[in-house]
Amino acid sequence: MTSPDSGPAPGRFGAWDFMSIAARWVLGGLFLYMGLSKALHPIEFLKLVRQYDLLHHHFLLNLVASTLPWFEIFCGLLLVLGVAVRGAAVMLVAMLVPFTLAVLMRALAIHGAGGIAFCAIKFDCGCGAGEVLICKKLAENGLLTLLAIALIFWRSQRLCVRHGLLRSAPASGLA
Amino acid sequence: MRKTKAVLLEALLVAALGLFLALAANALSARGLRLSRNYFPGGEKPGTVTPATNSAATGSNAAPVDPLEAVKLRLQRNGLKMVRSNEVAELFRDPRYDAGLVLFVDARDDQHYAAGHIPGAWQFHHYRPENYLPEVLPACLPAQQIVVYCGGGDCEDSEFAAIALREASVPGDKLLVYAGGFTEWTNHGHSVEIGTRRSGQLVKPKP
Repeated sequence: MTSPDSGPAPGRFGAWDFMSIAARWVLGGLFLYMGLSKALHPIEFLKLVRQYDLLHHHFLLNLVASTLPWFEIFCGLLLVLGVAVRGAAVMLVAMLVPFTLAVLMRALAIHGAGGIAFCAIKFDCGCGAGEVLICKKLAENGLLTLLAIALIFWRSQRLCVRHGLLRSAPASGLA
Repeated sequence: MRKTKAVLLEALLVAALGLFLALAANALSARGLRLSRNYFPGGEKPGTVTPATNSAATGSNAAPVDPLEAVKLRLQRNGLKMVRSNEVAELFRDPRYDAGLVLFVDARDDQHYAAGHIPGAWQFHHYRPENYLPEVLPACLPAQQIVVYCGGGDCEDSEFAAIALREASVPGDKLLVYAGGFTEWTNHGHSVEIGTRRSGQLVKPKP
């Protein structure tokens, strides 16, 4: 079996190739779906972003609510097509980590205020999937973040239109 | 190190291109948001959650406060008045209602409005004022009392809609916010109208 750093033999799909393709399509598909569900209902998403009480100026609130769904769709498309995979994966991590922290902080605030068991807390986090149990959402986001990080390091270019945007030569590790 | 820089540079390119395309998509979309518009005029700190096991657990550890009283205080700070269900029912039966001097304004979106609204209520979804003001404003200006409502519960759209109407030159002292909203209306068994305003399709909500 080929390792994520060694690259597959030409013409043969290795296990890392399959994992990389699956990670790209799962992540890309999810972001496409989540982004579309928000982009089609921007006012509902705007209300949900406001619930986090993190952005207090209406311009910033509108900017996030209007661009984030389309940005997710864009990154999702890049991953599905295999274009600028590492750059798109970095952006996914940059979106997932702060968003997961915001969900966690909000859930902790509810937990502290209401005395509800943490894993019984449920709200519409603005992820595009309606109301969700927060423990499940945090675990799901943790998994997605790990997949995105893996895509930054995995070198497989199978079924990619253009894996690296800046160069056409094969990618060769990060360090 | 060079490769790390290349990945970061690629990420920056993705960010820049993505932001540009996202702004363009929002600008071109019929559902897009206007960046400069304040969609929550007079809005205060939000706090809406639905705990899975306890629907009243959004408050603090302090003694429980009547949620309607909290809404009343918030409305007062915004220069608005709240009405309760018994007053709303009286206003609905008021002879001035048929004369257009008492008005009901539904602040919910098209889908909710069409599914059922207080009979004769005008729709004003304040997030898209340009779609509704040309019809609602001429009706509101001669009215003596205007009851604005949304879904009730956590819904704040009736407050925002009332403020938007006031900003559109409807005198604020005419505006009354029905905090219980449509949920309370149906819970009290009042009839609702389906479809468009004055569609004539009146139904009694199921208990």
